[in-house]
Amino acid sequence: MESLLQHLDRFSELLAVSRTAHVRTWDPVTVRRALQWARYLRHIHRRFGRHGPIRTALERRLHNQWRQEGGFGRGPVPGLANFQALGHCDVLLSLRLLENQALGDAARHHLVQQLFPGPGVPDADEETLQESLARLARCGSAVHMLRFNGYRKNLNLQEDSLMKTQAELLLERLQEVGKAEAEGPARFLSSLWERLPQNNFLKVIAVALLQPPLSPRPQEESEPSIHKTPGEGSQALVHWLLGNSEVFAAFCRALPAGLLTLVTSRHPALSPVYLGLLTDWGQRLHYDLQKGIWVGTESQDVPWEELHNRFQSLCQAPPPLKDKVLTALETCKAQDGDFEVPGLSIWTDLLLALRSGAFRKRQVLGLSPGLSSV
Amino acid sequence: MAQDSVDLSCDYQFWMQKLSVWDQASTLETQQDTCVHLARFQEFLRKMYEALKEMDSNTIFERFPTIDQLLAKACWNPFILAYDESQKILIWCLCCLINKEPQNSRQSKLNSWVQGVLSHILSALRFDKEVALFTQGLGYAPIDYYPSLLKNMVLSLASELRENHLNGFNTQRRMTPERLASLSRVCVPLITLPDVDPLVEALLVCHGHEPQEILQPEFFEAVNEAVLLKKISLPMSAVVCLWLRHLPSLEKAMLHLFEKLISSERNCLRRIECFIKDSSLPQAACHPAIFRVVDEMFRCALLETDGAPEIIATIQVFTQCFVEALEKENKQLRFALKTYFPYTSPSLAMVLLQDPQDVPRGRWLQTLKHISELLREAVEDQTHGSRGGPLESWFLFIHFGGWAEMVAEQLLRSAAEPPAALLWLLAFYYSPRDGRQQRAQTMVQVKAVLGHLLAMSRSSSLSARDLQTAAGQGTETDPRAPAQQLIRHLLLNFMLWAPGCHTIARDVITLMAHTAEITHEIIGFLDQTLYRWDRLGIESPRSGKLARELLKELRTQV
Repeated sequence: MESLLQHLDRFSELLAVSRTAHVRTWDPVTVRRALQWARYLRHIHRRFGRHGPIRTALERRLHNQWRQEGGFGRGPVPGLANFQALGHCDVLLSLRLLENQALGDAARHHLVQQLFPGPGVPDADEETLQESLARLARCGSAVHMLRFNGYRKNLNLQEDSLMKTQAELLLERLQEVGKAEAEGPARFLSSLWERLPQNNFLKVIAVALLQPPLSPRPQEESEPSIHKTPGEGSQALVHWLLGNSEVFAAFCRALPAGLLTLVTSRHPALSPVYLGLLTDWGQRLHYDLQKGIWVGTESQDVPWEELHNRFQSLCQAPPPLKDKVLTALETCKAQDGDFEVPGLSIWTDLLLALRSGAFRKRQVLGLSPGLSSV
Repeated sequence: MAQDSVDLSCDYQFWMQKLSVWDQASTLETQQDTCVHLARFQEFLRKMYEALKEMDSNTIFERFPTIDQLLAKACWNPFILAYDESQKILIWCLCCLINKEPQNSRQSKLNSWVQGVLSHILSALRFDKEVALFTQGLGYAPIDYYPSLLKNMVLSLASELRENHLNGFNTQRRMTPERLASLSRVCVPLITLPDVDPLVEALLVCHGHEPQEILQPEFFEAVNEAVLLKKISLPMSAVVCLWLRHLPSLEKAMLHLFEKLISSERNCLRRIECFIKDSSLPQAACHPAIFRVVDEMFRCALLETDGAPEIIATIQVFTQCFVEALEKENKQLRFALKTYFPYTSPSLAMVLLQDPQDVPRGRWLQTLKHISELLREAVEDQTHGSRGGPLESWFLFIHFGGWAEMVAEQLLRSAAEPPAALLWLLAFYYSPRDGRQQRAQTMVQVKAVLGHLLAMSRSSSLSARDLQTAAGQGTETDPRAPAQQLIRHLLLNFMLWAPGCHTIARDVITLMAHTAEITHEIIGFLDQTLYRWDRLGIESPRSGKLARELLKELRTQV
């Protein structure tokens, strides 16, 4: 067992080095050995992937490696992403070497020979490295073609395939990180927030929070462990959002009303904070007598329309949330003085607008009698 | 060899030009043209590889100075990379360009360049900067997530198609025809990639709301090809949709079946049954439109071969498989018989479709008489513009081998006076074109033979010559005339069944089979009889054994 773990260590180092200029010193023998190690580890993965103790030991070693590299606050892990990655570690290594122009002539020649030996007898047991690489190329072209010839962005973000994939990856990573270290996810998410384009990140978080929980099933070798238990990952996300008010504010600002309503329905822990934010935003607006509308004082204040939109969306949510929202609005209205006349309290006006909007909607749908024109 | 190399040079020029025009295959025309040429281009790549692998890098460039451009252009075309094994062969060709021991910086640079192109092919073409940044930021490489990205995209597109199919009225969410056509084009190189199966299935099954066909014919052809060669596994419903939407595909599937049948061993109904079941055509034929096309093709084959017994046997096996499939179909909508056999009276169709296995043995005679009456009525009814006349009725009848092949047996087994209805049926089966006079004559002849055979069945010692005389054979008449064939089969039937004949069976056959053609006919008869006996479970052990032995011996003779 110990030799296996050492193998893993050495291979991870190799993988990290394969990206650097250091490969200049590699000769064909080094290349061959590196590929052999990769093939060995891949074989181990196949044989012992379902074997509890060995798998756990390997995972723990990987987690150790990550911790040694500075944990999750730093940057992306240079080596293997998770245990699953062992299943194609030879492909990983091959690709990194192929991308590395620092490779010397002899090493390069040997590498190419090893990767692409040419037509031959296919291995009955496993897919050869050549086949895996060919399949990757084919798969990549397929994605490219579908992306540019068939794909259309789904307006319901949670159903969009690109968003879904990113969300699945995020959840998987969070789960992995959580296994390695209890505080891992929070630090990891914070580091991502610093490094990645924030708008996209927020969308991915929302979609991740809406992924359906899946029933447990025996893990399959061929697929990445993406569908294991989104529950844990979601919890980590909620926890982090609640602990980072700046992020949560950006989250609520950037995302469309409908999406936020869905997220809040699904994760009730978020609703008080969301409502709190909305209340804050509302209180920053004042009534402009001349124009007859509610306006903000600064440019970054949330305008009336958006506020109204969000409340309207929340009022269309199923019961527990909807009731909470209405109660909150009523409470605010009461605190302001419980006016019925418009123009004095934004909460009164909002409730009026929401009610008349609902009334209008019922009319349009033919649900209540009355004037046809509004 | 020299000719090969000249061919290669010509091809090279041709493909170089094509690739330049195609560029990255981003327009409708370039995509269509690429799709049409994918298979041929792959063949060319294979030939190139065979040539290149024998040469070293310098020689290659002397021979094909622009080879690097050709290969690079191919790499930029995603359709080519996506097709079958083209990406692999391209990679092999590129590897041939590498200098083992570069002598100068130019050669070194070339090596670097090749490495770069290889990396490009495998770099899973980047798009969507945001997505790439995100996944990298998480620590994933494309190989970690491309399979699941592809799966998500495929499933999402498939469900969009299904929604489009169901939501007729919601024009906002409709898929535009251009997008549908584009999707079908893009699938052409990907047909054999299993990850894309749900999308292919959805494209076939969901036909949207346009009155004319939107999907590209190249798509249907590619799917059909993959189905016939078993390179894709689609549910039956999708295959039926394919054949309903694209008639050439159905025709090709039938031709493919015919080819298989022709090239396989002659006169082996068991094998024919295997091929037919394997082709999925019987299940598909449960849909009347498909049945009609298939039947029409069988009819043409029959006409072209002038009623060859092998075709008749094939039709019988097909119909039997078809009827079995029809039973299994659990559809709510059961099509009326009329849709399968529009020119037949429903009562006749219903009687014929009965499986003899489902009718008690005692009633077989009755059923055959009934069939005979109905058929005779149809044949002799020249009024009302009945389609085709006797040949049409005959074509219908021959579908049902269970009954058609039973007539002779029933006649031989009964000691009583042979019923006129059965005599008529037998004569009709063997020569549908006969006029009334001719047929009546045949009936008389058959009756006489039956009488003689019956008499002989009581005697214990027989000789082959006795039998031949009884059958009125050995005369100078044309051995291939239908009546002769009828008599031959009666004789063979008798021979297998009558206890006294088993010892003289081989003599009888020797006397009978004076040409190779007749030997084949006898083999066919024996094979068909055994096949039928197996199915109906009516053989007596002795007859079966004899038939099998005879069959084996005859097969070795031809």
